[in-house]
Amino acid sequence: MATRSTTDARFSKWIEAAIFRKVLIANRSEIALRINRACQELGVRTVAIFSEADRTSLHVRQADEAFCVGPGPVPRSYLNIPNIISTALVTKCDAIHPGYGFLSENARFASICADHGIAFIGPKPHVIAAMGDKATAKRVMKDAGVATTPGTDILASVDEARRAAKKIGCPVLLKATAGGGGKGMRVVEKLEDVERAYASATAEAEASFKDGRLYMEKLIVDPRHIEVQVLADSFGNVVHLGERDCSVQKPSHQKLIEEAPAPNLPPKTRKALHDMAIKACKHVGYSNAGTLEFLVSGDDTYFMEMNTRIQVEHPVTEMVYGIDLVKEQIRIAAGETLGYTQSDLVARGHAIECRINAEDSRNNFAPQAGTLAKVVFPGGPGIRVDTAICSGSSVPPYYDSMMAKVVAYGDTRDAAIARMDRALRETVIEGVNTTISACLDILGTHEFRSGGYNIGFLPRLMAASVVG
Amino acid sequence: MSDAPPLNGSIAGRVRDLVETFVQTDLVRLRIERDGEEFEIRRPAAAGPQFLTQAETPAPVAAVNIETVRADLVGIFHFLRPSPIEGDVLDGDRELGYVEALGIRNPVRTHGPGRIVSILCADGDAVDYGRPLFEMDRGRHF
Repeated sequence: MATRSTTDARFSKWIEAAIFRKVLIANRSEIALRINRACQELGVRTVAIFSEADRTSLHVRQADEAFCVGPGPVPRSYLNIPNIISTALVTKCDAIHPGYGFLSENARFASICADHGIAFIGPKPHVIAAMGDKATAKRVMKDAGVATTPGTDILASVDEARRAAKKIGCPVLLKATAGGGGKGMRVVEKLEDVERAYASATAEAEASFKDGRLYMEKLIVDPRHIEVQVLADSFGNVVHLGERDCSVQKPSHQKLIEEAPAPNLPPKTRKALHDMAIKACKHVGYSNAGTLEFLVSGDDTYFMEMNTRIQVEHPVTEMVYGIDLVKEQIRIAAGETLGYTQSDLVARGHAIECRINAEDSRNNFAPQAGTLAKVVFPGGPGIRVDTAICSGSSVPPYYDSMMAKVVAYGDTRDAAIARMDRALRETVIEGVNTTISACLDILGTHEFRSGGYNIGFLPRLMAASVVG
Repeated sequence: MSDAPPLNGSIAGRVRDLVETFVQTDLVRLRIERDGEEFEIRRPAAAGPQFLTQAETPAPVAAVNIETVRADLVGIFHFLRPSPIEGDVLDGDRELGYVEALGIRNPVRTHGPGRIVSILCADGDAVDYGRPLFEMDRGRHF
């Protein structure tokens, strides 16, 4: 447990009148730091939580107070609801920001927060339950008239999964209903693979989300993964902040490079996606920040899932719209109105994000752990780095391998690519293997530069040894 | 069943008498056990040594095996009454206090015999996971 004082007293009167007094950040690493920054700029005090493995992390040092909530393994620390709620109570926090992953889409957690008089910075629990649960979300979207991929509801057993795969026709995708970030997701190419894929997907989902339930959908071969960012307040006002193209994905379906706006997207398709996102949010009475993920194949668009939280890749949207999405989340949760309409929002320029992970791209992006002997991040015009690492930091084996997000902004897509290329070459991380060289390889391909890629792009580069 | 008169009834008067007697002595602790009921009076730790002469002061036991009793959850720490003091020698697994979390009292135990070397927390402290609360000497005498 540690305390420090950072909040500017000048804000105190305004804080009491408008926003929260103290926010517990129920996350770690760069997103915890990102939320801490937003709170500090709003004059809101912060409480970090951390595991024993993260005791010296930057997010712990930057918060006003910090409480250890358990040992390194995620289920005993960052998913330890009693200790997290108890921390919020003993530190007198009036809100909890869950970040992404961990408890961010856990309706029960949001409900427990409400039971203890703590505001959950996200949608209402029943909306998380409806939209955060991927299988239910698809059913709700169908009801709202939004196109979805052919698939099932939650699967009761591996036998049901086998029957469903036979009916839908392989290839199919097994997905965690509580999932995100590619965790608990498996492609099933042949019927005889169902059992193995089901077992490993449900185990991974259980470990990651404390919810091992799966559903199945038809695998749309080589679509684009395009998602729409939305903001909605508690008074029925909903806006979109354009789309992001997240089609550069590893074979595990984890995103590696994202950009906004999506290149070469026909205006008609773009408008259809934006309209569907708004329609869906209004249908479910959504509030706070959220993302609707779609698969786009030719002229066809399919709703895939909704993430009822801030996304890893939110900075690219912030760069082109000039809006701080985390501050907006806090404002909305505090009961404020959006204060602007769709026509006030204009996208300018282009932004690209590269995820710098502790992974060995020459070994199928196998996660790495270790101590970082030297870390140097890029700078200069148009570059933003969201990270919680520095020289001497450790990369524990318990958590996601992402160490940093390098974001490049340019007036045009070509300018953003050139800037990203320059920034990645400036970046030095010694101590573990990273995805920097893989990102540079991808940026250098004609397929990426022309904006004509889809989710099969990176696996094809890996198969051809262009990456790795 | 014992024929001895119970300690309750005129208990307030009896406690007052005992305390008055206690403060006139050099005793640092008085403990009465009767029919399963216990009563104990102690002098504050800081005040204890002034009643002992140099010759009477027991030789310190060499600490050979110090273990830290830590909080295993987040909450507010409270001592059990009477509060343990540094130097207390405890037999068996004894409850020293509790961490109150979400309205539940979670006992903090010694997990075995030993002597309290240090008390590292105060009553009412907000404690997090792993916070050191007590140091126990588990030396060979225990």
